[in-house]
This record gives sequence, structure tokens and C-alpha cells, in this order.
Amino acid sequence: MATTIRRLTLSVGWLVVGLVAGLPLFGIVMGLWPTGSLSWPDITRFLTYNGLATSIVASVFLSLAAPLLALYVAFMVYSQYRFSRRWQALENRLAPLLSLPHLAVALGLVYLFSPSGMLWSVLYGIFGYGAPAWLGLPRKSLLTMVLAVSIKEVPFFLLIFSALGRQLAIKNWLLQGRALGYSDAASWWLLVFPAILKQSRLALLAAMAYTVSVLDVSLLIGPNIPQLYAVVLYHWQTGFSESDQAQAWLGNVVLLVMLAVLVGAIYLHEGLVLMRIHFNAVMANPLRIASVGRLFTLWLTAFSLLTVAILTTFVLWSVGWSSQGAPSLAKLSFSLWQEEWFFIQGPLLNSLGIGIFSSVLGVALSVLALELQHQRQRYLPDYIWLMAILLPQLSMVYGWQIAHTTLAAGYHSSWVVLAHLPFTFAYSYLVLRGPFQSVNRHYEVVAASFGYSYWQRWFKIRFVLLGPALLSALAIAFSVSVAQYISTLMIGAGRVVTITTEAVAIASGNEQQIIAVYMLVQAALPFIVFLIASLLAQRMRGSYHVAYH
Amino acid sequence: MLRITDCHIYNTKWRIDLPDIALAPGELLVLTGPSGMGKSTFLHWLLGDIIRHATISGDISLNNIAVNGLNIEQRRIGLLMQDVYLFPHLNVVDNICFALPKALADSNGKVLNKPQRQAAALAMLNNIDLGYVAKHYPEQLSGGERSRVGLVRALANQPQALLMDEPFASLDPSTSVQVSQWAFTQLRASGVPAIMVSHAISNLPSQAQHLELADYYRRV
Repeated sequence: MATTIRRLTLSVGWLVVGLVAGLPLFGIVMGLWPTGSLSWPDITRFLTYNGLATSIVASVFLSLAAPLLALYVAFMVYSQYRFSRRWQALENRLAPLLSLPHLAVALGLVYLFSPSGMLWSVLYGIFGYGAPAWLGLPRKSLLTMVLAVSIKEVPFFLLIFSALGRQLAIKNWLLQGRALGYSDAASWWLLVFPAILKQSRLALLAAMAYTVSVLDVSLLIGPNIPQLYAVVLYHWQTGFSESDQAQAWLGNVVLLVMLAVLVGAIYLHEGLVLMRIHFNAVMANPLRIASVGRLFTLWLTAFSLLTVAILTTFVLWSVGWSSQGAPSLAKLSFSLWQEEWFFIQGPLLNSLGIGIFSSVLGVALSVLALELQHQRQRYLPDYIWLMAILLPQLSMVYGWQIAHTTLAAGYHSSWVVLAHLPFTFAYSYLVLRGPFQSVNRHYEVVAASFGYSYWQRWFKIRFVLLGPALLSALAIAFSVSVAQYISTLMIGAGRVVTITTEAVAIASGNEQQIIAVYMLVQAALPFIVFLIASLLAQRMRGSYHVAYH
Repeated sequence: MLRITDCHIYNTKWRIDLPDIALAPGELLVLTGPSGMGKSTFLHWLLGDIIRHATISGDISLNNIAVNGLNIEQRRIGLLMQDVYLFPHLNVVDNICFALPKALADSNGKVLNKPQRQAAALAMLNNIDLGYVAKHYPEQLSGGERSRVGLVRALANQPQALLMDEPFASLDPSTSVQVSQWAFTQLRASGVPAIMVSHAISNLPSQAQHLELADYYRRV
């Protein structure tokens, strides 16, 4: 009887985690399910869509360039910090830096560095001039997108490298490399980079899949004529006519083809780079260019300063700063905050509620998935659990929306929680997998020898040791939920309004000061949760170490 | 010739004043002593690595050139540890190529190209009957093969001295005896002075010098 109950419980567990992990694939399949007849004129209209080719090429370029740029920068940062005294500081600040939403970074860069941005207007304002229009980062362009995405993805890759680095004998490889006459920088590239690159495939794919289908950032800072592919596709997906739906279907197929091209590009890039590095290793070429990494010694300071500058810019704009006219402290007031507070409350509460539910559920289910695999003593490949971040969001959410509409399911926050769940689950799994697998099983063996049952050992040892990692996962899952745009918009049908959907709606207008208010609130939410999580984690004795294994 | 003079290993509680050490080409010094006395730390100091567990002062010279001011990559001192850390992304031949000097030239003075370097590495392996592992990756090697490839790689770099930190400790006793005897012969033949940290002083070549750190240890 006990065995039957145990088997039943395990089956239910597998079913639940399987459903959540499989939701992204379900969305993709639903999105590709032919709903109506596809005619030749539909295909012709799609292929002759004005600017389609440019739009696709720009999106593929962006999705390749930004993550690869971030990967290389992150590797150079990692090589400069890993065995220096600043490593601890970087590891401690990584999670909060990671929590800053893409949207806030993107708009922050525009607010700071665009021709009418804070930097130039202050610099020129001091001398009583206005900044020339050609100066600085374009308000909407591919370059701005590449910069924003790559800057934002660096902490993500650092988090991945930090976990990878613990499984590799980097310190000893470097020591051997140096004993054989190579510089530290050359040893990093010739000995460490090949291992890191091979094991970063999934992380690269996640960053590329995100970039190719990111909608909110593309809408606000992406190029206009033509728009990035994600924006074009979204317009078709939300169109009324049958023709739009046919375009959306074809658009989905093309998006998946683009993803396949990106996967191919990951392998091609890896092959070419490893071939080059192998040649240098065999020829004992010291790779003098490797010393470029030294430029990134101050990355943490620079990124922290950028974050502070972005937040300060938003604060100043939100209290009445304007790039028009000379800067003056006398003009600053909190009246906008008082006025906006009435409008912010609803979205803020929605974001909080959806974020809390989806993150707690996501973390709980990822622990369940890990525990079920632990009991089977066999772990499934990561891509099965991480499909939500490896597949293009626009395609999967489109499929969910079709299913949602077919079910006539109504528009309620709980559906949005469900739509956020695959993402919070995937990110929690990414954060928790390492710590969960590296809990030393001897602790549990010792407890078993004292007579503790399986579940007593689980809660008293494994769960407690995982405490800080669980808090980290909760904070990351919460920030993922807060930043969700497409899923909230499409499944909530605009009726479930969160800080992010509201921020994008307002940012599409031209009220810079109100945008700044919403950006600040959006950035503050995950930041506060990270702060609470890190304070709580510090109170958990002895287990902080486990959190980052 | 490796010379270490006026060498002191110390921390706040104890101090070791080492006698002067001079090793001619091909000579071997075996360093023994209880755990925590700084044997490995001493090797890392000789290598030029950052040391943490004690303070070490002294003068090191290689062929009458002081190397104290040089960093690891400039000293040309090889290091062989318990795990020899063959690079996992390179096969055995390429691991050895990585160690071969960049300026390695043929008899006409022409710098070797890639196939020639690989042939040179393969010849080194064939010399010791290990040619059959040339295309193997490190994880495909047995413990004994790994140790021997590690030594070949270290010698391929043409070091001026070699440091060995319990290099055969992870091997089973019979393989350890076999590989260590082979290694001592190789070292003598290549004329590289070597210092080896070891727990066991059995099975050492008769001409090896021996230094027991505990003999020079005193509390402060």
C-alpha cells in the first residue's frame, strides 16, 4: 500500500513538473498549428512585406552580436576578477545587478547618452549651450539595441561562468600554463576559454532566444524603419483579420527558422574559435591580444556607476528635471510622484501579487523537479527544463494565447501567474541545480545513521543547506516575473496591468518624467526583493557557500 | 645548476632555516617532512607563485642567474603535481605541443610549423613507448599514463629545473614504483635538476639528496 501511494505521489510530481516544463513547447506547437487555410496570396503578401528582409537580417544580427559581445566581455571580466581580491565583491553584487530589468537599462542608456540625454545636456548646459543633435547614442537604433542588450547580458554570463568555474580546475590550468612559459592572460584564453565556451552553449542560446523575440525593449529603443522582427511579428499576432493571422503563422515559422539559424551560428562560432585557439596552443603562440582583458579590471566599478547613474537620472527626471533649459535644482518637486501614485498602486499590487505567487510556485516546482531526478539518480538534460528560456517567447506566448482564447478562459491574474510560471521555473532551476547537486550526501548519510527518516533528513539538512540558494532563486524568479511583458500583455489581454506593461505603454508616449517614475518603480521592485533575500541569506549560518555552488 | 641560499620559511609560531641547496644538472633532491610544514609552499615559492600559508625568504639562482625578481612564466621552472593537469581540450600530442618552445627549429634553423611540432611531440612519446596514446584525450588515459605524459610535457618545455609535488602519490603502489623509477631515469638523462616533495623515501635513486624539513624546524 505504502509503495503504491509513493508511486502515485511520484507520478503526480512528474506530471506536474512535466506540464510546467513542457508548457513552452506546447505554446510553440499551438502557435504552429494551422488554424485556417493558408493561401498563396497570403504567402506572397508575407514575402513582399515592406522591409521584411532588412527586419529579419537586423534581428539576426542583433541576436548574434549582442550575446556574443556580452559573452566575450563577461569572459574578460571573469578572467580579471576570478583570482583577485575583488572576486567576492563581484559575486556579492552580481545578483542585484542582474535584477535590473532590461527595460530600465535600455531606457537608462537613452536617458543618459542620447543627444538630449542627461550627460550631454549637463555638460553643454554648464557652458550655456544645447547639445548638438548628432552627438551621443541614437534614441532608437540597432546600435542602441546592441549596446543595451549586451551591457545587460554581461552579469547573466558572469553568473553562468561563476557556476562553471567551480567545476573546472582553472587555477591549476593557469598555474601549469604559466609554468610552461605563457602569460596569465594567454593561459586564460588558450586553456580556460575553450572549456567555458563549450559549456556556455545553453546560456548563449538563452540570451539569443531572448534577444530575437524581445518586444518591450525593441518597441522602445529598436530601429523604426523597418522595425525589428519581433515588433513586426507582434503586430501580425495582434491583428484582427484572417490575413493578419496567416501572416502571424508564417511569421512564427520564420521566427523558429531564425532560432535554428542562431543555433547553427553558435556551433559555427564555437568551431571557428576553438580551431583558432587550438592552432595557437599547438604553435605555442602567446596570443598577445589576450592582454586586452586588462581593460575590464574596472568593470564592476563601471557597471555599478552606470547603474547608479541610470537610477539617479530617473530620480531627477521624476522630480521635474528637464533637458530643456538650464539645469536648476529649484525646479525639482515631488508633485509628479503624488499625482502618479494613484495610478501606480493598481499595477504595483498586481506586479507584487503575480510576482510572489509565480516565483514561489516556480521555485517550489524546480525543487520538486530536482528532487524527483535526485530520487531517480538520473538527471535529465538541462534543455528539457529550460525550454522557457531557450525558445522564442513570442512564439510560445502566441500559442498560449490561442489556447487561452479557445478555452474562453477569461482574463484574470491567475492566468498571468500561470503564464509567468514556466519562466520563473526555468530561472529557478538554472540557479538551484548547482547547489542542489552539490549538497554533500555524506551529511544525509550521517543523519540517517542517527535514525532520521528520508524526509526528516531532507528538511533538516538539504533544505536548510539550500536556504540561501532558495532565497537567491526566489529573488531572481521574482525579478523575472516583474519584467515579463509579452506574456502579461497577451494572456492578460491588457486587463491585467502590471508595472511593466504600464511602463511600456507610457514609454511609448513622450512624457519623459512619467516614464522615469515607472522605470524607477519597475527597477525598485526586484532590487528590494534582492536586498531582503541577501539580508536573510546572511543570517543563515554556514550555508552561504552552498548558494553559489 | 639550481642554487637556493639563505632560505628561511617562517610564520608567527615556527621557523625553518634551510641549509644552502645546490643541484647540478640531473640531480634530484627529495624533500620530506610532516604535513603543514610548508613543503608544497616552498615549491610554489620556487616556482614564483603567490604563497599564503607561510613567509619564505631566500635567494634562488638558475645557472648563476638570480630568478627571485622574475614571474612564473619567465623562470622556466616546470611543475608536476599529484594531478598533472593535462589540458582537457587538447589531446596528448597537442598537450605536448603546447609545452614545446615557440621558437623550436629544425636542423636548418627554420621554426617548426604545426605538423612538424606535432611530429616532434609524437617522437617524444614514441621514445618512451607511449605513441599509442598520442591521439587520446586526458580522460582516456590511465593514472600511470597520465603521470608519464605529464612528465614528458614538462620536459618538452625544456625547463631549467623541475619541481614535483608528490607526483606519484595517486598511483597504486606497484605503478608508483614503476613510474617513479622511469621518471628518475628520464630526469637524469635530460639533465634537469629537480626537487621532489614526497611522503615516502623508499624506492628513491641512491644518488638522490634528501632533506628532512623537521630537522631544521624550531618554535619561536
